[in-house]
Amino acid sequence: MRWFQLQRLSAVALVIFLTVHMVVLHYPPFHIDFSRVIERMAQPLWKAIDIAFLFFVLLHAVTGTYAVLTDWQGVARYRRILAGSAIGLGVAGFIYGAATILAFQPPM
Amino acid sequence: MYRSSGFISFFLRRLTGLALVLYLGAHLWVIGSATQGPAVFDARLAAVQSPFFKLAEIALLAAVWYHAFDGVRLLLVNWFRVTSYRASLLYTALVMTVLLTVMGGLPILLFLLEG
Repeated sequence: MRWFQLQRLSAVALVIFLTVHMVVLHYPPFHIDFSRVIERMAQPLWKAIDIAFLFFVLLHAVTGTYAVLTDWQGVARYRRILAGSAIGLGVAGFIYGAATILAFQPPM
Repeated sequence: MYRSSGFISFFLRRLTGLALVLYLGAHLWVIGSATQGPAVFDARLAAVQSPFFKLAEIALLAAVWYHAFDGVRLLLVNWFRVTSYRASLLYTALVMTVLLTVMGGLPILLFLLEG
C-alpha cells in the first residue's frame, strides 16, 4: 500500500470521526469543562471511539506532513530520517493520547 | 501554473494541512492535561478561550472545512474519474467552506461578544 492510499483511507475515517466529534462536543451548550468531559469519557465505548479517532488523526497528520516535507527538493534526501522521525512522533503521540483517554475514571 | 485551479487546491490543502497539524499539537497539550485533575485542565482550557483564540477558532473552522471538502473532492475525482468536473468541484468546495465557516463562525462570535 502506497502512502497516499493510506492517506485516503484515514481521510475517509476522519470525515466520520470528526463529524461525530464536532456534533458531540461542540454543539450547544457551548461551554466545556472538566465535569462535562469526564461524564462521557467514563464510558468504555467512548474511550474506544476516541482511541480509534486518535489513531487515524495521527496517521493522517504524520503521513501528510511527511508528504509535504519530502516534496521539497532540499529535504527529500533526508527521507529516511524524516520517515523515522514521523513514525517516532506518531507512536509517541499515540501513547500519550491513549494514556490520557484511558486515565479517565468514572466520578466517585 | 500558479493560477490554475489545480495549484490553488494543492497549495491550500497543504497550507491548511500544516496548520491543522500545529493545531493538533496544541489540542493534545490542552486535552492531555485532563489526567492532572480538574484544576489544571480547566486552567489550561481557560487559557485558550481568550478573544484571540475565539477568532483563531473561526480560522480553524475554515481550515477544517476547506481541507475536508477539498479532500472529498480529490477522492471523488479519483474514484469516479470525473476529471472534467475538477475545477467546478473546487469552486463548490470553496463556496461550501465560506458558507459553513460563516454559519459556524457566527455562534462563536456571538458567544465571544456575550462573554
